[in-house]
Amino acid sequence: MFDNDFIALLPEMFLINATILLLIYGVVYSTVHKVFEPLVRNVAWLGFSSILITLILLRGSPLTTANLCYNNLIIDNFTYFFKVGLLLSTACIILMSLQYFQQEALTAFESIVLMLMSTCSMLLMISAYDLIAMYLAIELQSLSFYVIAASKRNSEFSTEAGLKYFILGAFSSGILLFGCSMIYGFTGVTNLEELAKIFTAPYVLRPLSDSVMLNSADASWSGVFMGILFIAVGFLFKITAVPFHMWAPDVYEGSPTYVTAFFSIAPKIAIFANMLRVFIYSFYDPTWQQLFVFCSIASMVLGAFAALSQNKVKRLLAYSSIGHVGYLLIGFSCGTIEGIQSLLIGLFIYVLMTINIFAIVLALRKNRFKYISDLGALAKTNPILAITISITMFSYAGIPPLAGFCSKFYLFFAALGCGAYLLAFIGILTSVISCFYYIRFVKIMYFDTPKTWILYKPMDREKSILLGITLLGITFFFLNPSPLFLVTHQMALSLCI
Amino acid sequence: MIAVFCMLDLLLFYVFFESVLIPMFIIIGVWGSRQRKIQAAYQFFLYTLFGSLFMLLAILLIFFQTGTTDLQILLTTEFSERRQILLWIAFFASFAVKVPMVPVHIWLPEAHVEAPTAGSVILAGILLKLGTYGFLRFSIPMFPEATLYFTPFIYTLSVIAIIYTSLTTIRQIDLKKIIAYSSVAHMNFVTIGMFSLNMQGIEGSILLMLSHGLVSSALFLCVGALYDRHKTRLVRYYGGLAQTMPIFSVIFLFFTLANMSLPGTSSFIGEFLILVGAFQRNTLIATLAALGMILGAAYSLWLYNRVVFGNFQPNFINKFSDLNRREVFIFLPFILGVIWMGVYPEVFLESMHTSVSNLIQHGKFY
Repeated sequence: MFDNDFIALLPEMFLINATILLLIYGVVYSTVHKVFEPLVRNVAWLGFSSILITLILLRGSPLTTANLCYNNLIIDNFTYFFKVGLLLSTACIILMSLQYFQQEALTAFESIVLMLMSTCSMLLMISAYDLIAMYLAIELQSLSFYVIAASKRNSEFSTEAGLKYFILGAFSSGILLFGCSMIYGFTGVTNLEELAKIFTAPYVLRPLSDSVMLNSADASWSGVFMGILFIAVGFLFKITAVPFHMWAPDVYEGSPTYVTAFFSIAPKIAIFANMLRVFIYSFYDPTWQQLFVFCSIASMVLGAFAALSQNKVKRLLAYSSIGHVGYLLIGFSCGTIEGIQSLLIGLFIYVLMTINIFAIVLALRKNRFKYISDLGALAKTNPILAITISITMFSYAGIPPLAGFCSKFYLFFAALGCGAYLLAFIGILTSVISCFYYIRFVKIMYFDTPKTWILYKPMDREKSILLGITLLGITFFFLNPSPLFLVTHQMALSLCI
Repeated sequence: MIAVFCMLDLLLFYVFFESVLIPMFIIIGVWGSRQRKIQAAYQFFLYTLFGSLFMLLAILLIFFQTGTTDLQILLTTEFSERRQILLWIAFFASFAVKVPMVPVHIWLPEAHVEAPTAGSVILAGILLKLGTYGFLRFSIPMFPEATLYFTPFIYTLSVIAIIYTSLTTIRQIDLKKIIAYSSVAHMNFVTIGMFSLNMQGIEGSILLMLSHGLVSSALFLCVGALYDRHKTRLVRYYGGLAQTMPIFSVIFLFFTLANMSLPGTSSFIGEFLILVGAFQRNTLIATLAALGMILGAAYSLWLYNRVVFGNFQPNFINKFSDLNRREVFIFLPFILGVIWMGVYPEVFLESMHTSVSNLIQHGKFY
């Protein structure tokens, strides 16, 4: 009876089993010798391989569309590509963090295990088809994150970051759950498909008769709207959109750098997947559109202005990712298929650029890359790295012909297509403003003279491969954007139909 | 940069239009001569980017209405007059910064002064033409009614620019800034000619664009030669170069006269055709533009007098060396081009006749 479920959930089951086995392995071998040197490296490589095997299992799964576990989980094209993206980015992040463990001589292998656990929960989150399943997955992911944010035990910064994240995250999860319960209270169902039927009923049945309207919900009913509002607030917190972004710069700055990389990339993918399904599939209504328009404008404006005065790298990257989330929310707040497609394209290109920049930040760690001015005269000591940083920064700013321009272009295209002229206009203005601090990187590297001695330490092989691949993607994306366009179109269609 | 002038597709034109920003930013910033270069590079970048983002919105709007960005198809679509005006303004925002037209011309003197010689040559020779090329290729053919609507506006801005910049140039003390401001004046001449919308005007503007590319670049190379030797660009320190650098003086004289539009040089042909075209449209504008020509002669000749003639200043400069063979050979193609276009421009003009008359027929500007 549960055959289908088992086959379809094989990737997630494998990842959970691998996680638990790695945990056992780590626990056993960390007490075997006094200090077992290669423990973290072994666990990391095994974790990386288990993610790749999960990817292969996902790819080779015989089922492409299924409702699992009594309609709690779903698999279709949308979830498939999202999961592929998530697994690839997690694999990249584990690759990036290998040198970090070696440098810091950490013996805490638990970070890897927790990262794997949160990846598994994010896989389940992407497939979630029920409010309760969604909440459980979000909680598991958040809990793993709270712990790894505080994992640098001898740094107060890190502890503060973890504590802040925990308190604010738990609070927002509570609001999310409250919203779910209000929806349940007013409609009687928690399944997203049933909710979709209830919420789109007015549009379908309105031409038929008037009396039917009383039996179906509309998102403008105040109780239901409060529920949707709370759920939206919970989600917006997790993706660091503006009125709820306060934790992001502090947490991003305090956590260890590989954890920051993980924070910037993985939750955004998973939670955007979930948001798309919840809001565009279930609660399809123009009432909540205004909320997202407001959040998008505010995020873009804040991301542009607040980063202008930052001196520290990780804070600047936090604010720039807040700004980028604003651009992605433009695509979200027009409810059209182009909107969804532009959001997906923007998301994948954002992931590409972020992997690039965090690989660079991790590579430069030994040279104390905490303040932006530590980059001074990098062009003289490390010219290829300087070119890589320049191209990534120009791509973030949205200069043609790089990939960032393509993503912004398509986002503005979608915004104009559904009539959100204000969004496109503000998007363009904030693009120019944010250009200023992106160019500052280039200026410091190329134009300034250094204030201290610059030492040159080469980066390891994994990071250089990652940097090479992502740089290639960013620079030459505009020559062949069709694969990504086709994939995202497929995803958007399978969501809406 | 070559790609910009070949593109028949709006979106790709925009992509290449903007991609020249990054290399120029780096050229100005890395090889520029003094600390102010960073400010200049930033100004250049942000000014141009800001204007061109409005053009991006306009391109998106066009794509929505017609479903294509192919220029040849867009030339056959008819936009409503209100929409044409809106799109024209958006395109204008982008091209006006590049031309440069008066309120937004400030980046040009800064960028030229701070850029290295080669950077200035590329900037003057090619980048400035991007704006007027954009007007000619995209604004005028696609939005004919809006062009007619805005022609007085362009005329006003251009004439103000010509007279204002020519007057400002007389006061300048930095060699490169003088030539940069004269570039602004010439490019605004080009826009006057272009928006007179008749054969003579448009052909004159194209010819003036070509000739300005040659003349301004050569002038920047001259100034670059001086800067290489003496590491200063202030006019105060130079004098009496005719005695010590005769070959340089001859070449400099030639290009100064070309800058002034002496008959026999290519810029005379361009300016004359422009004035003829503009006179047919609006006699006042033509008169004021001709006044600009006189002012152009004023600052060019005065500059030449101060630098080349008179006594040399032994307080400041003691050692002189004339142009070496490499530099003379650099100038030869420019001299050849200017003389050829000035004496026998028919070769260049006849290749333009068909396209320009097509443009005028298409927009019904007669």
